[in-house]
Amino acid sequence: MSTLIIGGSQLDASWFLLLSAILFVLGAVGVLVRRNPLVILISIELMLNAANLTLVAFSRQLLNMEGQLFALMSMTVAAAEAVVGLAILVDIFRVRDVEDIDDLSELRG
Amino acid sequence: MAIAVFFIAAALAVLGGIGVVAFHQPIRSVLSLVVVMLALSVIFLLLNAQFIFAAQIIVYAGAVMVLFLFVIALLGPARELGRGRLRFQGWLSGLFVLVLLGLMWSLLQGVQYRQPDKGDLSFLGTVQSIAVGLFTTYLYPFELTSILLLTAAIGAIYLSRKRIDDL
Repeated sequence: MSTLIIGGSQLDASWFLLLSAILFVLGAVGVLVRRNPLVILISIELMLNAANLTLVAFSRQLLNMEGQLFALMSMTVAAAEAVVGLAILVDIFRVRDVEDIDDLSELRG
Repeated sequence: MAIAVFFIAAALAVLGGIGVVAFHQPIRSVLSLVVVMLALSVIFLLLNAQFIFAAQIIVYAGAVMVLFLFVIALLGPARELGRGRLRFQGWLSGLFVLVLLGLMWSLLQGVQYRQPDKGDLSFLGTVQSIAVGLFTTYLYPFELTSILLLTAAIGAIYLSRKRIDDL
């Protein structure tokens, strides 16, 4: 247990980690269960956000800047991923309607 | 006070996360994700990450989510068909949730926290300290992310160009 004193009250670092774990699992479930490619991209963003929360929480617990710097980098990666993923989706949707991610399995060997 | 703020923000984030997975229309999933991101930005503020807080709101809740909304507006409302090709998918996903949550729970039980470094809490997370880190120790990773962004921009332009045979 590691107690963080924030604004006079005591919070535990593990609460933040638990919240991050819950959000990450929700994102993973979204990727697995949902069929719409757009929603899968959205769930990936959710997982990236959960990872960011872990980085920032440990940065606060260790009083070390590096976690926040890395969170900033992962935000950049998330933005790049969203842009390219959405561009690919728009390109596919221009040719045909995709309601199910399994419709896009032509690359399967 | 901070405890109340944390629990309200955490509840909002979890509810938004459930909304992302549960809503059938993509636009509702996107709006739920905006709720998650705003709640997380409050938690970042609790954790002394002022700059990340601002970047979260501007970059994520602002730019990335608006991009998603634009794409949904462009593609039209696509409703999801309830069926999946994989049978027992509901069961399998439920099992997966339980296993993953149990795994993370047991990991969290065994976390050994290191003693904090000798850092100044009033300096942690300010724009100044972020800038000092980005432009001295982590200059090369910072430049590499700018190259990554450039690559992504070129890729997006290439993918969304008008093809000759479309004309």
